[in-house]
Amino acid sequence: MKRFFSSITDGKGFDILLVAFPLGYLFLMSGLPLLYNVLMSFQEVDMFSLGTFWRPFVGLKNYRDLFAQPETLPILYNTGIFVVASIAGQFLLGFGLALFFWTNFPGASWLRGLFLVSWVMPGLVVGAIWNWILSGDFGVLNFLLRETGIIDGNIFWRSDPDFSLWAVIIANIWLGMAFNMILLSVGLSAIPKDLYEAAELDGANAFQRFWTITLPMMRSSIGAIISLGLIFTLQQFDLFAAITSGGPNNSSNVTQYWAWDLSFRQYDFAKGATISVIMIVFVMFASVVYVRSTRHEVRG
Amino acid sequence: MGIRNLLVMGAFALASVSTFAVSAKAEDVTISVWSLDRDIQPAPTLVADFNKLNTGIKVEYRQIQFDDVVSEAMRAYSTGQAPDIIAIDNPEHALFASRGAFLDLTDMIAKSSEIKTANYFPGPLASTMWDGKNYGVPKATNTIALYYNKDMFKAKGLDPNKPPQTWDELLDAARKLTDPGANVYGLAFSAKGNEEGTFQFLPWAQMAGGGYENINSEGSIKALDVWKTIIDEKLASRDSLTRGQWDSTGTFNSGNAAMAISGPWELDRMLTEAKFDWGVALLPVPEAGAERSSAMGDFNWAIFANTQHPAEAFKVLEYFVSQDIRMFSDFGQLPARSDIAIPATGKPLKDEALKVFTEQLKYAKPRGPHPEWPKISKAIQDAIQAALTGQMSSKDALDQAAEKIKAVLG
Repeated sequence: MKRFFSSITDGKGFDILLVAFPLGYLFLMSGLPLLYNVLMSFQEVDMFSLGTFWRPFVGLKNYRDLFAQPETLPILYNTGIFVVASIAGQFLLGFGLALFFWTNFPGASWLRGLFLVSWVMPGLVVGAIWNWILSGDFGVLNFLLRETGIIDGNIFWRSDPDFSLWAVIIANIWLGMAFNMILLSVGLSAIPKDLYEAAELDGANAFQRFWTITLPMMRSSIGAIISLGLIFTLQQFDLFAAITSGGPNNSSNVTQYWAWDLSFRQYDFAKGATISVIMIVFVMFASVVYVRSTRHEVRG
Repeated sequence: MGIRNLLVMGAFALASVSTFAVSAKAEDVTISVWSLDRDIQPAPTLVADFNKLNTGIKVEYRQIQFDDVVSEAMRAYSTGQAPDIIAIDNPEHALFASRGAFLDLTDMIAKSSEIKTANYFPGPLASTMWDGKNYGVPKATNTIALYYNKDMFKAKGLDPNKPPQTWDELLDAARKLTDPGANVYGLAFSAKGNEEGTFQFLPWAQMAGGGYENINSEGSIKALDVWKTIIDEKLASRDSLTRGQWDSTGTFNSGNAAMAISGPWELDRMLTEAKFDWGVALLPVPEAGAERSSAMGDFNWAIFANTQHPAEAFKVLEYFVSQDIRMFSDFGQLPARSDIAIPATGKPLKDEALKVFTEQLKYAKPRGPHPEWPKISKAIQDAIQAALTGQMSSKDALDQAAEKIKAVLG
């Protein structure tokens, strides 16, 4: 008995206790809702059976119905474009900025801090501001493009099905860029300076140094930032609600917004859950990449 | 006297206050009321006034946010914690009524000296009915009509006292009034992909003999074609597709649109913001002499079926209805009743406008009523947007909507 207690205060029992708390918390707060969501996607759910647990099972009917709807494939396709374009934009611009601030000119760290302001702003506020910027008749973006002679007529960013998705992507890139930059800056500063000195002595030019030292040393940071980016873009909801509401005619609709619309606008909770399950699969994939890329992390 | 003593005394004081409160309420029946009204709006004010009457019924009020009304009510009902009385948005009334979640009030209303169905406008009343029975009473109502800028009418050689009566006249006027150089569109309205789009379009289809049950009728197609003409000829901003009514009418107030389709909720803002002479006209009809129609908005009162005190809850409803006369004078909302005259406000523009809205209310039709209204509405919104963006013809878009609606209607 004494050994048992001493193991709890100092030993294996203590370790297990430490692990059990976060695991229990995770299971209670994330695991159960997740399982419940999967369960709902196989059931017939309407608002009056919301409070019960055992509802009629319908097998894969929700999935079949979902894929029979004409808007499903375009919305999945939109989600793909949104995720790839947002991550690519956020990463490339963020990496560019990180490299720029890495040169450490006077005031660099100060400016870098200011960039974080965009990340701190609530999505709905960012959405409302981009809503004005992207407005067709009086928007600032159209004004700039017109004055510089790039376009003749106004582009209706929010209301033209050819542009609506890109309107949200532009706003999302702006929103996520700073976060990318900060994480990549951390990765950059962790690379030992002597590697570059040695390479310079060996006569490697700037491009070679970037390609053979910076990129390989940043591998884990890049893997982490891209998988985090995937999770953040799949979570991005506020911008859609504020800028296009998924319209016009679903041209800027994505799964995360659609799931909400189905569940809480059309009260079709089963289909909302079904879409969420499909999204869970994608996020799981991202999580695996994230875990694997941070596992071999070397901190110099 | 230390902090400890203070704490003990505080706890004792608290305990005695709460026991006193409980004992005072013991013989009262408690009725809970949920609505989205804020403190200066009807529900909480009426609840406070009712409680002052000391009728032996104590009413507790809870405010819920607009977006949460239905989901909160559903959750509460399915777990047996529903309030006694709720204010529900009229297109969602049938959802609860059809499933027996709301109490059938037909007999109580028949015996009531306060609530008389004959006093109500037909549209709002119909939204509270399901299967020929009364499942609630309208709380307030609103509708949409055509606002127009009289100064711009004069400037473009149109008669400011003869607003457009038919769709053709509306298109003509919009063409004359549109002035891209001055950043002026002929018309502002909302074709947004949410309930607002349906709210604005359905009256057009109904005026032309269509409706949600036959959304692909010839008249509905013609209505959507007129909308398409308005967007294609740039008589209204393309952003009408993603802009709600409030923002669209904002462009009217700032002089960037010569006409706007919206409701009486715009009046107070327009009085302060619009620096020009304006008027309100009934919604234009397909051709002279055609049937009129308009949208019908706002909330209904209903009693949940699992209330412990149906008679007391009905008494509270009767009190609310007895105060309908204050609906406009105290709260600026239109009572859903044809027997209550709207008192003059002393603001000529507003009084003129209210006359038109009261007239328009006679033709207002409910959306549905149907328990699956959100799905029907979504099909209509998608059709409007598919046609206006040019992805489908009006006919194809409405045919597809009709197909989806047929699946819902079964």
